[in-house]
Amino acid sequence: MRYKLNLITLALVSVSGSAMAADFSVNKANTSGVNADKFQCKRCPDTTGYRGSVELGAAYSDSDDIHSANALNSEDGTHGVLNADVRYRGKTGYRAKAQATNLGLTNSRAYLEAGKVGSYQAELDYRQLSQYQHDNVKSNLWYADGTLTRSAQVQTQELSLKRKQIGMDLSAGYQWGEQDYQVFARYSQEEKTGYQSASMVTPRPINFGKPVDATTDKLTSGLSISGQNWLTSLNYQYSEYDNQIDSLSLPYLADIYAPAPDNSAYQLSLSGQYLFNRTAISTQLATGRMIQDAAVIQTTGNPIQNWDGQVDTTDGKLAITSVLDNRLRLGGSVSYSKRDNKSSVWEFAQLESDGISGAFKQNVLLDTENLNYKVNVSYRINSDYRLQAGFDREELERSHSAREQTDESTVWTKLDIRSFASSKLKLKASFSQRDGSQYQASGLTSSIENPLLRKFYLADRDRSAFEAKFNHAPADWINVSLIGRYAEDDYSDTALDLTSSKDYSYNLNADMQFDKRLSGYAFAGQQWIESQQNGSQSISASDWSAQVDDEFIKLGAGMNYTGLMQDKLNLGLDYLFANSSSDKQVVYVSTEPQSDYYSYSHSAELYANYKVSEQLGVRLGYQFERYYDTDNAQVDVNAIDGLTTLGKLNHNYNAHQVMLSFSYQLR
Amino acid sequence: MMQLRIYCLLCAIAALMLTSFSIQAVPWDQLPAEQLTKKLETKFSEGKYSKKGADTCLMCHKKNNTVMALFDGVHGQVTHPDSPMTGLQCEACHGPLGKHNKGGKEPMIAFGKDSKLDATSKNSTCLGCHNDPQQMAWYSSSHNLDEVACVDCHQIHTAKDPILDPQNINDTCIGCHPQKKADMNKRSSHPLKWDHMTCIDCHNPHGSMGESALNQITINDTCYSCHAEKRGPFLWEHAPVTENCASCHNPHGSVNESLLSSRAPQLCQQCHMDDGHAGRAAPLDGQDAFGGGKSCLNCHSQIHGSNHPAGSKLQR
Repeated sequence: MRYKLNLITLALVSVSGSAMAADFSVNKANTSGVNADKFQCKRCPDTTGYRGSVELGAAYSDSDDIHSANALNSEDGTHGVLNADVRYRGKTGYRAKAQATNLGLTNSRAYLEAGKVGSYQAELDYRQLSQYQHDNVKSNLWYADGTLTRSAQVQTQELSLKRKQIGMDLSAGYQWGEQDYQVFARYSQEEKTGYQSASMVTPRPINFGKPVDATTDKLTSGLSISGQNWLTSLNYQYSEYDNQIDSLSLPYLADIYAPAPDNSAYQLSLSGQYLFNRTAISTQLATGRMIQDAAVIQTTGNPIQNWDGQVDTTDGKLAITSVLDNRLRLGGSVSYSKRDNKSSVWEFAQLESDGISGAFKQNVLLDTENLNYKVNVSYRINSDYRLQAGFDREELERSHSAREQTDESTVWTKLDIRSFASSKLKLKASFSQRDGSQYQASGLTSSIENPLLRKFYLADRDRSAFEAKFNHAPADWINVSLIGRYAEDDYSDTALDLTSSKDYSYNLNADMQFDKRLSGYAFAGQQWIESQQNGSQSISASDWSAQVDDEFIKLGAGMNYTGLMQDKLNLGLDYLFANSSSDKQVVYVSTEPQSDYYSYSHSAELYANYKVSEQLGVRLGYQFERYYDTDNAQVDVNAIDGLTTLGKLNHNYNAHQVMLSFSYQLR
Repeated sequence: MMQLRIYCLLCAIAALMLTSFSIQAVPWDQLPAEQLTKKLETKFSEGKYSKKGADTCLMCHKKNNTVMALFDGVHGQVTHPDSPMTGLQCEACHGPLGKHNKGGKEPMIAFGKDSKLDATSKNSTCLGCHNDPQQMAWYSSSHNLDEVACVDCHQIHTAKDPILDPQNINDTCIGCHPQKKADMNKRSSHPLKWDHMTCIDCHNPHGSMGESALNQITINDTCYSCHAEKRGPFLWEHAPVTENCASCHNPHGSVNESLLSSRAPQLCQQCHMDDGHAGRAAPLDGQDAFGGGKSCLNCHSQIHGSNHPAGSKLQR
């Protein structure tokens, strides 16, 4: 929520660019007349030793809904907080760093680093991420040792996920002749625990809190060699996912649900870059494999113990950018990506027949192959005008699909105008067209698929998009930016399914620096997404349609004042309002009234920083969060015949947090 | 009369001198960007560096706190073998001194918000040293093509570059990408608005060899780096899931739950209209199992893939 004066937008509007680009890289410098031995730095200050700051505090949060912990970063009650950034720099190049951010709160990180600059370095890091959904979920299914046991009474559960990550990193560098060698290795482990919403068929659907208890180990390592105009890099990454929950059973129904299986993946990549004159060539080749051979649940009609799931991936890219002269630049790239599923195929008994293979069905191996070309040109007309244009094409092939090839071509253009010293205008337009091979129901599902259906990600589509960005600094103390966008998708050959979509928005932002002490900002933005789709209740033409109108609005403002009590006191305020809504209207026989589906939040933060002395500071902060969401699909546990839900999972709360902290500046 | 004429002449000479001095004091302020760049290029190629390096610069600039803050950061370290301070010192980035410290006050290469140099020229200084794998895709990156300067995001004359603090990353990115600021405040999003996650958890602002400047080569590989449970491969796969997670999800945020581009059952019905089962009209939410609770996912909860031998319909 801290949207400060934006230096980037200020910089963008404050300069009037040159029509020519120079190369001031140090390796191009004419040092023939330099006698480096006489270079001195007697006036340079000694910055060795310790410096940084340590902040210790406490946060008190008051809320009756655990969902507020997402915004307040702490659950209800009092919690200690540690923030630190301490650095050590030795006289002979040794250095160390210790950082902590919000340690003690639900989302936090810590980082330790030590080494000798330019030679070697060791790092250790810790990170905790928490996500809270609801603490008042109603269910009579409880998980213990692979079984969901049923209690007589509906009880309350919490849906939340916690990730705890630790990592260690070793890196070293060595200059050998003209070449610079760098090598690194990193290992990290993440533990993810908690409960999340899921559902099973028993055969009636029952929503339940699915336990999560998994570990992901990652290893990445690499070697890079670079010279003055080139570099090459060899990298390897490995990831292993280990789910401690192998299957879920009900007391009267064994192995009814298969949680995510253990899996692993590796990727080996070789990259390189070469620069000559004003042309840069970059390339990368990568090969990888995803393996999943976890034990498969044993049921009648399952012919295997473990499945040998294996997907091989191949990726490559070549990109060239060349500055032909001071006005003209050309660029282009070709990339290739292949997903080759080499798993085995078996026939498995299904509990539901599909009308084609009866009660038995073979698993289907899905392959994709993607080829992408891009070319672009940039021409600087003069110091105030620059024109860019490009053409992108994507050719995607997939197996076992209603449409096995889709091709999408896009043309785009951008115009940058700096016509006035204090303003800048950027215009962008693009048009893309997607078509491909003949759309046909695949052999596996042809008898039940409506022939008029065109799946939205496979269908012919024309997409037009426009964007205008305007930055203006009417005075030294204010910078205003306005961005408007409009995009329209037209599924030209679709009778059933998504037929059209519009997405348009604006964002208005103002940053102000009233004087040396007082700064402020304000912003407003709205977005509308309107989509139209048709449906059919039988294998025939459309007999119903749905219009979905999404709308989002955000409003915010804030200020910061630094001039109170002989410049010892700094006061700040941030406020943000956000409202998301989605209105749907289905027309079938009659038009039904719309259901509520919206959320809004008011977020406010007040803070005061007081400088007791050069070293000691006090901070007092107050944060307020008002949150409300509603969804008519959320109903009481047994409100719908045949369906057991987790109850109404909506939120409606006011939450408060007060934080007091003391900081000590080491130097 | 003669005295008056002499007095007027002296006044005129003084005025002329003052005017000349004021022009000569900062002559590059009036130079158009192109001429300034040419002047700096000439100066750079002539290579008239100072005799004593940083000490020469600090004779005048030592009282400037911003200048001196350089020595608190990595670029001011004299113990770092690759630091500018162990090479051409201040002139490694700001170019040769030339006659900058003499009456003419020649311009130096400058990077601040008042600099008239274009982004490519400024960036050439940084890229001269930062030729490493992290910057490998810079030249073909959208930030380079849109002429974003390194100093638009980074600060050098400081103990700690603010953008290197995870708490500052998102604020910097959304300054130029306000639509992402909107997305991260929608009903569902990754926890970016509270800085629990940062944009660089997924993207490399210096460009990447993958799509959309992602840290991994493909969109799905990027998602799998945190959601390894969805990587599979699964015995029973859901085709659009294996192809592109963004087919159904907007990773930056959505007005719908779970970052979905549309709600169930409408989202599912944008692909499934097969047998009168998926094609049913659902006018009102919460009336039946099709429009209540988790909608289609009440039964087909394994939407990202199932490893149950009887899970072909992604139900178990």
